Amino acid sequence: MKLLWAVSALLLSCCRANASTAPNIITEPSEVSNQTSATLSCNLTESSLPIKGSFWTHNGKVVDNSNSAASTPFTSLNLEKITHHSAGIYECVFMTDPKVKQTIEVKTLPHVTTHKHSEHGNENSEAVMVCESHGYPLPTDWTWFKEVDDMQTPIINGTSDKYEIKSTPNKTTLTINDLSINSDIGDYVCSGTNELGTASDKIHLRVRSRLAALWPFLGIVAEVIILVAIIFIYEKRRKPDEVNDDDDSGSAPLKSNSNANHKDKNVRQRNSN
Amino acid sequence: MRPAESCAFSSARSRPCTCLTDADEAASSADMTSNEPKAKKSGGAEAAEDGDWSWPLVAALFVSTSLVFGLMRSLGVFFVEFVQYFETSAQAISWISSTGLAAQQFFSPLGAALCNAYDTRLVVMTGGFLAGLGFILASQATCLFHLYLTMGLISGFGWGLVFTPMVATVVANITRRRTLALGLGFSSIGIVSFIFNPLFQFLVETYAWRGALLILGGLSLNIVACGALIRPKRRSKAPEKVDSEKKSSCASMLRRLSSYLELSLLMERPYLTYTLAVTLLNVGYFVPYFHLVAHSRQVGFSEYQSAFVMSAAGASDILGRVASGWFSDLGHFRLLHLLTLWTALAGVFIMLLPVSSLSGSYTALMAISLLYGFCSGSLTSLVFAVVPMIVGVERVMGALGLLQLIESGAGLLGTPLSGFLKDVTGTYTASFLVTGGFVVLGTLTMSTLPHFFSRTDPPAPRRRSHDKKDKSLHLELEQINSSPPDTKEVNDL
Repeated sequence: MKLLWAVSALLLSCCRANASTAPNIITEPSEVSNQTSATLSCNLTESSLPIKGSFWTHNGKVVDNSNSAASTPFTSLNLEKITHHSAGIYECVFMTDPKVKQTIEVKTLPHVTTHKHSEHGNENSEAVMVCESHGYPLPTDWTWFKEVDDMQTPIINGTSDKYEIKSTPNKTTLTINDLSINSDIGDYVCSGTNELGTASDKIHLRVRSRLAALWPFLGIVAEVIILVAIIFIYEKRRKPDEVNDDDDSGSAPLKSNSNANHKDKNVRQRNSN
Repeated sequence: MRPAESCAFSSARSRPCTCLTDADEAASSADMTSNEPKAKKSGGAEAAEDGDWSWPLVAALFVSTSLVFGLMRSLGVFFVEFVQYFETSAQAISWISSTGLAAQQFFSPLGAALCNAYDTRLVVMTGGFLAGLGFILASQATCLFHLYLTMGLISGFGWGLVFTPMVATVVANITRRRTLALGLGFSSIGIVSFIFNPLFQFLVETYAWRGALLILGGLSLNIVACGALIRPKRRSKAPEKVDSEKKSSCASMLRRLSSYLELSLLMERPYLTYTLAVTLLNVGYFVPYFHLVAHSRQVGFSEYQSAFVMSAAGASDILGRVASGWFSDLGHFRLLHLLTLWTALAGVFIMLLPVSSLSGSYTALMAISLLYGFCSGSLTSLVFAVVPMIVGVERVMGALGLLQLIESGAGLLGTPLSGFLKDVTGTYTASFLVTGGFVVLGTLTMSTLPHFFSRTDPPAPRRRSHDKKDKSLHLELEQINSSPPDTKEVNDL
């Protein structure tokens, strides 16, 4: 009886011991900040559960070629060149039952770009400039500057009707109203800041004057008038030669006399008798 | 242009007439083989024979056609801007060009009638001015309806006053190199579209669409200069002169109107047959240009490959226009026969298009597209050149106007029909087969024209004269034309 109790107590303590130790993953490094390359590794400790394999995910998507069927409690992922594309949230997942995973954040400077480096706007109308950011973490602060002679003056939202700034973590929009040729032409800089630092990009704004197209138009009209005048004058000059020749019968004039000499053989005269 | 007739008219005015012999006239007569040595001797003077005026006229046709149809085809850049600015659907914007094209074709008979009644030069210059005015006004548009009115109606009306008169003038005045002149003139559409698309893009970016439209208006004003190249008409048409005696009674006015519009043509079977044939042709022959890219992509080729097929077809189209123009003028075959050949081939190639891509071979698709492009370009040069053979050169103006009006309906039918077939069946095979079928049907209709199987062109019919005074002329004409167009007889005079 006492032996039975001792054995059962031992068994129970063993079971409880198994249940009470949770699996732990040690990540190395715990976080990647502003490095050009890194090797992420996960070590599964304190787990006696069978490991069927492991893989890595990047921002929720499985990383190519990271699937491993080895039942080792250790897995690593090598990031040769860390750019804003490869930044994000990485997870190492061990295929145990239940799955266990751990997160490693790879952080870089923000990557700020704009699709159009040259924007056009019409005088007295509005211009919209857009900057986007990719990478991780996304900027928490966006600022716009107007660059004049290498000096950047910040544009403050809401002080006047002229400037409107709308920002979301991955996009910022600057709208300039009532463009004027004198003051609004120039370079504008959008700048995004996250916990690691700041990045920016530049857009050049051109303002078209309302009457800009008028000059080429007037030039073309002048060219047309000159052409028509030349044609009319040339005709008036030739008119005396043609009075005798032109035999009009509708819309098909015949040869002029000047060519008649070459073709005497082929020409016949017909009189109205 | 039958020299005999012109001599008859001038004889009525008691003036000696310097006429050309039939040797120079018969560009499409089988008798020409006996005259070829003569024709070749005067090779250098051939161009001069059409008039020193002929090459400036071809240049005028080139420029005006490019500014009418080339412009129309390249407006796509503006449509993107309009959709953004006016915040409407692309379909509402596409109505602008549809209105423009419809107005151009609808007002063609009016343009022709005005040319018959007044001076061609004045009509074309007015048309050019209106076309430019439409675009200039469009640059100030504040709502979509303004665009329909200006770019669509006003410019379309202007284009209608320009295109048919220009083509008719070229057809009437250039006899020996007629088809080549037409081919060169129409090739402008393809050539210029390579220039206009990037140019318009640049204009829109630099000046915004309003400024760009203003500049386009100025460009369109160049049509006025083209119109100025047409020789002014010194005397109006004989029938009208005769009628001027009667005061403006309703009946005589209507008669004059119908003579300007050449409505009597609608009673003539050859003209009706030909118009029907051209209408059937128009239903389908340019449909592949709309659907070729989409079809290639559907079959599985990449975007670049499909676009390249399209460009290649366009390039062979330009080549076809000029080459067929040059070849037709050599006179080896009757123009009508050549036209039938090209239309039949075009129809066959359209029907072969879906078949060629069935095998998945890019080379086959490219080959058939090139051949199709060449044939469709070739037939374009000939379609208008055949008209004087059927109705006579005097009535070419009115004939072309009515032809444009009647064939416009076909154009409206063709593209929606093919789109509908594609929606129903899921692929473009049915649309290509059906439109190719229409083209072949048009060819068969053409073969029912009188004297189709004869080797030479029949004598062109003359205007039926209503007035007594004309009857004497009529008798004279009958006497002259009762003898076959034999050069030997004429030379013996």
